[in-house]
Amino acid sequence: MSEKNMNVLPEKRHMGLKASRTLANTSIYILLIVISVIWLIPFVCILLQSFRVESTYQVGYVMPQQWGLDNYRNLFQTDFPRWYLNTFITALVTAVLQTVIVLCMSYTLSRFRFKMRKPLMRFMLILGMFPGMLSMIILYRVLSDLGLTQQNAVPGLILVYIASSGMGYYVSKGFFDTIPKSLDEAARVDGATRFQVLKKIILPLSKPIVIYTILTAFMGPWGDYVFARYISFGTSAGMNVAVGLYNWLNKDQIASRYTMFCAGGVLVAVPVAVLFMCLQKYYVEGVTGGAVKG
Amino acid sequence: MKKLLAMALALVMALSLMGTAFASDLAGTYDITIWAAENAVELTKKQVEDFNASNELGITFNATVEPVSEADAATQMVTDVEAGGDLFCFAQDQFARLVQAGALAKLGVRAAETVTANNAAGVVAAATSGDALFAYPLTADNGYFLYYDKSVIPDEDVDSLEKIIADCEAAQKYFAFEMQTSAWYLASFFFGTGCVSEWTTDDDGAFISVRDTFNSPNGLIAVKGMKKLVDSPYHLSSSSGAEFAQGAAAVVTGTWDYTTVEGILGENMGVADLPSFEVDGKEYHLGSFNGCKLLGVKPQVDAVRAAALHQLAQYLTGEKCQMERFEALAWGPSNIAVQQSEAVQANPGLSALLAQSPYSVPQGQIHGSWWDIAKVIGDDVKAATDEAGLQAALDNYYDKISSLFNLDTSALLFVGAWNGWNNADDTDTFYFKDGSLTLDVPESDYMGGRIVNPGDWGTDKGFAQVTVGADLIKDLGADNPDNNIVFAEAGNYTITLNGEAIEIVKN
Repeated sequence: MSEKNMNVLPEKRHMGLKASRTLANTSIYILLIVISVIWLIPFVCILLQSFRVESTYQVGYVMPQQWGLDNYRNLFQTDFPRWYLNTFITALVTAVLQTVIVLCMSYTLSRFRFKMRKPLMRFMLILGMFPGMLSMIILYRVLSDLGLTQQNAVPGLILVYIASSGMGYYVSKGFFDTIPKSLDEAARVDGATRFQVLKKIILPLSKPIVIYTILTAFMGPWGDYVFARYISFGTSAGMNVAVGLYNWLNKDQIASRYTMFCAGGVLVAVPVAVLFMCLQKYYVEGVTGGAVKG
Repeated sequence: MKKLLAMALALVMALSLMGTAFASDLAGTYDITIWAAENAVELTKKQVEDFNASNELGITFNATVEPVSEADAATQMVTDVEAGGDLFCFAQDQFARLVQAGALAKLGVRAAETVTANNAAGVVAAATSGDALFAYPLTADNGYFLYYDKSVIPDEDVDSLEKIIADCEAAQKYFAFEMQTSAWYLASFFFGTGCVSEWTTDDDGAFISVRDTFNSPNGLIAVKGMKKLVDSPYHLSSSSGAEFAQGAAAVVTGTWDYTTVEGILGENMGVADLPSFEVDGKEYHLGSFNGCKLLGVKPQVDAVRAAALHQLAQYLTGEKCQMERFEALAWGPSNIAVQQSEAVQANPGLSALLAQSPYSVPQGQIHGSWWDIAKVIGDDVKAATDEAGLQAALDNYYDKISSLFNLDTSALLFVGAWNGWNNADDTDTFYFKDGSLTLDVPESDYMGGRIVNPGDWGTDKGFAQVTVGADLIKDLGADNPDNNIVFAEAGNYTITLNGEAIEIVKN
């Protein structure tokens, strides 16, 4: 009896495990598919609407009756290219400068020991607790006096975005802290300068965090609405895409601009999507695999 | 050093004043910014060039025309008045806000006379705060009327709300009338039964009093009519002409949707004034708001520049430019001469608006909070199950208005009874401004009146509270249950409220 049972039982359990795993996986996949469909529907709708040429207002169906590129063509008759360029310049310059500042800041706070280090970090922590919106009015005043609003909104916005970027060091400093100091010390013994340590040792080891910093620095200005609207107010030449496109949703314009709005939305999504696709592999790549070996 | 500086400054000031005084010549080139609706940008540019070419004062404007929605102009403007457009178009509901923000320059006496003489009275009232004009009327078409699909609703049915609802239900098509999200449209029912909500502003654009009769027997009739509409399964709370593409057979909206609706319905498009509704066997024609767009001039540091800008503003809102705007954009004119031109009369959208105009109420100055308070009525009415529920919706509205505006001293009014109590045309109604008012009491049998609360018309205070000037009024003693103030003789009086006490002085 015991022999028989012993033969059968493990077999049974094994089958059950496999079946339950398949079942769990299937249900998880179904759930994920449902969620991603729900999540993707608005994007697909916008994409389809942007190709609809039979009418320009909102309609009750998704599939266009006539397909065409008129909406995209018409975009170039408006101020859209200007807005796009404004946004792109702002985002690009901000991405570069902010990344440099954040990485330098993180490296300094992670590796250097100086008297005001702790007080400085605490001070920035407290500063960061205030909502950024609080400073909006005074920042506007300052920029307005410097002549960096309205048609000069782009340099004004870049200034605002990078001015406080030093405070966003937390994530990358935390990451740098996990890289063993012995690496630095080894490099220093071999005669490397502090900057060489950062450039040749730390940065290559922290690609994911560098990419993350670039991405967030790019995305912030790319999608900003509130501050950009405030700075560029009433001046089409200084607007970014979010502000310009949103104006098309006004009551008097939506009927003639809705499909163009969708086309604009699609074009806005393109660089971000490309950026993510190009940089995604760095996310997937192992983080510090084997770094300590050397 | 300081003294020297002060003297220099004084000198500069004196010189600049002299400059102003002697600047009869406006000739020169001015760089200006104009904010106009996106579709009017090109036309505005052309009109400024026409002005440059045609004016005899030697003024040349280098105008940058920025597309800024009229619905959004005040929000943009108050962000930073200094950096805002020199001339800007805006919908009239933002007027009080702009006056308060100091974003509008007062019109000169002559400009005001011209504007008053050439434009429809309701539109002039919309540009007036206190006694002064602050803006130039641009259009008078910000009202709504009925668009319908002729294939669903026969022409003979468009006069009746009930028939339209029935037709829509039979065809399983929607009747779009924005009842739940917009006080602008919802007020239609109240105006239909003769209710009013009138606000008074002073020279600074501040609201000083309100006369509101939504919470009244007529208001109850209005919500009963509204109940019929919102209870229909085929009622849609929307005011977008594009609804016709999504199964609507009737939409209440304005001229801005004309091309959209025409594009969708083509031959089947019909336009008409709003229908009537029936309550307890009586017909009430739906009323409407009749609003306008205005052109404002930003206050300028340089008086010469300001005068030149006013010249341009006058030109842009004059007969010629309004006609051009009608031809190019189908904007309904506020200029009386253009309104009466054949072309305007023949435009279907504007003619429907014109047919609605006997029932429409000029949209005067309305407090910004009113829109949010009043729009709740729509939801409350939909939720109500019986007459008590409908009355509760009105009570709720009234409570909010009165708690917000503290309708005591500043909003009280004196109603004179010398022509009888029936004061519908408002002639014998006097509003307290800063707690006092001056009135002429004519010789009549009953030279009395009472101080009432504008919401419920109940007596607030009167005879019993008079502390100063008791000798000027008749002592009615116990025969005066309504606490009326009855003057002993005709004349000009000033009534001042001093806390709970009333002081009367004969002038």
